[in-house]
Parts: sequence; C-alpha cells; structure tokens
Amino acid sequence: MSFTAQELKKLVLPLLACVALLAAGAALIAWARQEQREAARDLSAAREAQAQARERLMRIAEEEREVKEKLQVYLRLRELHILGDERRLEWADAMTRIRTQRELPDLRYRVERQRLLSSVGPRPTSVDFFASTMKLEVAALHEGDLLNFLADLRESGNAYYAVRRCSLARTGPALAVAGLAPRLRAECEIDLITIIDRAAKI
Amino acid sequence: MKHLVYFTAADHSVYAWKAGRLELLARFTGDDSGLSGFREFLASRGGALFYAVADLAGEDFHEEQIPYLRGNDREQVVQRRLAQRYRDTRLATALTLGTVTGERRNERLLLTAFTNTQQLAPWLDALAEAGAKLAGVYSVPLLAPALAARLGRRGGRTFIVSANSAGLRQCFVEDGRLRFARLERMVDMAPEAFAAFVRTETGRLAQYLSTLRVLPREGPPVQVIVIAPPGQRPAFEHALISDTRLSFITLDAAEAARKVGLKGAPEATRAERLYLHLAVKRPPREQFARREDRRSYYLWQLQRGLMAAGALVFAVCGLYAGYTWLDESGMRGDARDLRAQTQQTTQEYQRITSAFPVTQTTTDNLRATVDEFRNIARRTATPRDALVYVSQVMSDFPQIELDSLQWWVERADGRAAANPAGGASTGGAPALNGVAQMLELSGRVGAMRRSDYRAITAEVQRFANALRVDPAYRVVRTQLPFDVTSEGTLSGDIGTAAETGEAPRFTIVLARNLP
Repeated sequence: MSFTAQELKKLVLPLLACVALLAAGAALIAWARQEQREAARDLSAAREAQAQARERLMRIAEEEREVKEKLQVYLRLRELHILGDERRLEWADAMTRIRTQRELPDLRYRVERQRLLSSVGPRPTSVDFFASTMKLEVAALHEGDLLNFLADLRESGNAYYAVRRCSLARTGPALAVAGLAPRLRAECEIDLITIIDRAAKI
Repeated sequence: MKHLVYFTAADHSVYAWKAGRLELLARFTGDDSGLSGFREFLASRGGALFYAVADLAGEDFHEEQIPYLRGNDREQVVQRRLAQRYRDTRLATALTLGTVTGERRNERLLLTAFTNTQQLAPWLDALAEAGAKLAGVYSVPLLAPALAARLGRRGGRTFIVSANSAGLRQCFVEDGRLRFARLERMVDMAPEAFAAFVRTETGRLAQYLSTLRVLPREGPPVQVIVIAPPGQRPAFEHALISDTRLSFITLDAAEAARKVGLKGAPEATRAERLYLHLAVKRPPREQFARREDRRSYYLWQLQRGLMAAGALVFAVCGLYAGYTWLDESGMRGDARDLRAQTQQTTQEYQRITSAFPVTQTTTDNLRATVDEFRNIARRTATPRDALVYVSQVMSDFPQIELDSLQWWVERADGRAAANPAGGASTGGAPALNGVAQMLELSGRVGAMRRSDYRAITAEVQRFANALRVDPAYRVVRTQLPFDVTSEGTLSGDIGTAAETGEAPRFTIVLARNLP
C-alpha cells in the first residue's frame, strides 16, 4: 500500500517520536553502562586499596623491624652529612687536611657542578640523590698513599664518595732515585653523592 | 474508546465499547434521514475508531476450490473468483476452509458477500468522509466461530443460534470455521412459542444443509448452542429436546456474556451484544471492507506501531538500564564497604605505627632513602682490595714490573660506569653479573733477554694464572708480549747483534663482580 503525501505527513510525528525514544533508550543504556564501568573501576580500586592495606597491616611487624634498621642507616647518613645540602667548603677543608696529614707532595682536584643522580619516593616529597664529580690528581710515593687518601676521604664524611675510576702510572724508574721523590701519579674520578629528603623534618 | 456500528435491516445503532462494556450512543434509521444524522454524529468523532458489524439477510455463502497458492497469486485468484461470483464485490470476502489433496492440491474457499451492498455502502462512505478509522466490516456469521470457541466449541459441527435484534441468527461452524448462516425474521412471542420456533428453524437448517450435503446424513449429532433470552432458559430447555440429529445446549444470555467477557451492555440489546463485543476483542482476520476503506485504519495502526516500537525499545532499554543500575548500585555499595574496611585497616595500621620509633621523615621516604643509598653503595667500590690482591700475587713474581694500573667500575650491560681514557674495553670478555670492578695491569718482564720470548711468554702466562688463584677474580683479557695466537701477527728480529729497546710489554685485565 502506498501512502499519499498527506498521509506520510501524519507519520512524521510518530516516526520522530519513535526515533526520539530509540535515541533516548540508547542514551539511557550508554549512560547506564558508563556508570557501571565507573562503578566497576571504583570497586576494583577499592579492592586493591583494601588488599594493600591488609597486606601492609599483616606486614606490620616486619615493617617495624625494617623501620628500626633503616632508621639507623638514615641517622648515620644524616650524621655524616651525606643527607643534606652539599658542603663544598667542608670538602675543601678535608682535602687540605688529608694532604697535610698524609704529606702528599702534590694534590690537585676539581669538583664539577652538581647533577641529579636519581629521584625516588612519592612526589612532591621525593628523595633526590645528587652527585658532583671530583677529578683528582695525586703525586704519590707509592700506591698506598692513594689508598690511604681515599680511605681518609671516605672517613671525612659530608658526602658519599663513590670512586668511578682510578689510574696509577709510574713517573720515573723504580729504583733510580732514592729519597722521598714521588714515583707515581694517580688520577681518579670520584662522585661526591649527597641526598636531599624533601619530607625530612629539619 | 472504540465505536461499533451495528447494521440491521430496520435501523443502525452506534455503540461505544470500553473495557468490556457496551454503551449505546445513537440509533439511526436506515434511510437518508438516518444517514444524515449519522453524518452529523460523525462530525464530532472524525478520528474515532469504528468497527462495523452487519446483521443482515442476503449474505451469500458459496464454496469453491482454487489451486493451492500463496501471496499475490492467491489474492488475484480469489478476487477473480469473487468477481465471477458477485456482481458487486465491494463487500465480499473469502474464508479458507482448508486444503484438499487429490490429483493436485487445492484450497477450499467459502466465498461470502452481501448481495445488496447499498444497504451499507453510503454508511461506509460517510465514515470515510468523516476521517473515521474503519477497523473492518464484519458480519455476525464471521464472528460466530469466535463465539463458538468462547462458548467451548472449538471443533466438530456446531450450530450457534441466537435471538438478535435483527432476527433469529443461525450459524453453522465446522471445526472452528464458518460454513453457513441464515437470518430468520421473528416476532415477539411467548418463551414457549419462541423455543418451539427455534426448534423448528434449527431442524429446517439441518435439513437444508443435509440436502446440500454440507451435513452428512449419518454421524454424531450436531451440537446446537442456543443462547436463550434472559429468563427464558427453562422454557428453551423444555422445548429443545435432543435427538440423534441435534444435541441442544441452552445457555442463558447472561452466562454467555460472562463466557465471552462482556461486562455490561444496554438492556435494549439482545444477543448481538456478544457479537459486538467479540468484534472488538476477537476480530477475525477476514472481513468485508476493501483496503481503500481501511486506509485511515492502516495509517493509524502504523502510527501506533511506530510509537509502540519506540516505546517497547525504550522500555527494554529502561529495563536493561535498570538491571545495570542495580548491578552498579551493588558495586558502589561493595566499594563503599571496602573503603570503610580499608579506612579501619589504615587506622589500625596507623595506631600500630604510632608506636614505631620516631623518624625524622616519612616511612616511605625513610625506606626509599636507605634502599636507594644501598643500591648506589652496592654499585661502588674502592680500588684497595684489587690493588692489595695484585700486590700479594706480585710478591711471587719479582721479574714482573708494572708500569701502570687502571681501575674502574663497569656494569653488566657492558657500559662502563667510568671507562678510563684509553682503557681497554672488555668487549668480548666473559659476561659479568651486575656490576664489576675492572683492573687493567700493564707491565713488562724484566731480567730476561728480549729474545727469550718463550721464557717471557711463559712468565706472563704464569703470572696471569697466579692472578686466577682467587676465584673472585677473573682474568678477562691477557695481551702477551708476543702474539702467539693464530689470529695475530708474529714478527721477529733474528740475528741482530745486540738487543736493543725496552722489554716487551704485556697487559692483563682482571674483573671482580661487586656483591
């Protein structure tokens, strides 16, 4: 059966209503499913948080032991001024003091600008590890002078001294010259590492 | 609200049907003045829905057979047969009576039509002019199978006999299909006389159908359901005695109305009220109106269909959304419970941790600081151990003289943590685990003649082997003073009178993994 234009006009409104209802139904389902997905995500997050909280509570004894043990290290780092701002003047003092004590004939050093080594922990209260590379040149009587110098440097604190490389080379024949003339030349690169804890209570 | 127009030879009545109740709205005479009144009546009900029920004499029934067809082919054949049978086919239709299988499969049809369409045509035209939606034109016989079914007769041969306003209506229904009907005039008479009249007319109908061989001469008696006027059932039961041909069942009009679901009707109506109700509630597929007469109705159905489809889909979507909402609501509730539990757990955790030693930072930062510091410390070392080790080994090799030592830390991926300038890379050295400290020794073998390359090579190899004594140290590369490998170039200076130059140099690279 074919309809006239006038009859078709009578179908327009029901057709629009039908389409509107279909669209409303589709929108309703889309909205409901979106809400359902959000609820599922919310539930999943809540489950995960609950699992983590429970696990943390179960590990509380272990954590207490861990905190106690790590606190000792933390306090030691603070005591050695590894934790805190750089203390370049103290580093210079230490170099001078060690050179004098060890009677090193020649000691040259240069500390490069500080760079970020790593950043750990939750932001914004993260823990940042910084390194300043020191290039060192020492004239030594024997290799023990270098080793003692490095040991003294480590003991002096104010940074953690991570030796990256060292080279030792003869500067003259082994038995040619008697006396206290330096026979070795040592060159080292050492990272002076300091730590900034942004959550630390000053 | 639906409207019904009941056509009889005497007058035409308009009823309103709503929720199973009939209400008389108007009654018109069958002449022109009645038609004018009907048009005026329709003026205020232009878009209303109408059902036309005709209870008229002159309704022809004729059985035919056509080839078994479907779709448009069948429709064309049916229309052709109707046109052959009836002069005016405006109110004609064909009812199927099933199929016959013989040499070829045929369909049995009952052709039926009003022989005088002029009784109805002006009234149907008036409906069309007023824009009324005509659902269909039904005759009372077309509705008889539905009435028989509602009264409990779905199969077998049944006469439905009822006293309508138009007269005594007798319909023959076989296996749920109309076969024949007649309308007999009647006058007001006493119940007993009326019952006897019904008995007589029923017998005549049976005789007539037997003559036509529509009813078999032998066989079980035909069920005759007689709808007695209100209060006349005892008289009918007394008069209608069953025999071998006819088996009477008398129903009171009220009981019949209850069975068909009619809840109320005007007092003035007779048994036609049952047919009128069924025209609305159980309209048969076949009816008399042409497609053109029902255009408004089709359009209205299409409108309703569109709206219903939209509403149905929306309802389904709503149900689904409701189900989803319930699911979502459950999940939100579970999440709330879990968060409350998490809060309790966290409070319990904080209560316990408050008894921890006082730290000067957060627990997370404390842990992060110490862990990262340990990682860094693990990757670093001092050259002391390596130098002491080499020094100890050298005490057994007074001929070995070292010119230079280079120490550095190297990662397992081959990247030098600090690769000294000009230092040898391990390159194809054995894989290192984690971080390793490397020591490159460069020296020469003194107190031996340069030409004694066998002794020099053996001494360097002995020295290298001695450096392997501690399994923590690995010799990853040895460069001998003389390249005796097949891959290298071997050169010599034989016959020179005096030995000149320095002692040949060697290089050994040691590695030790950091813990």
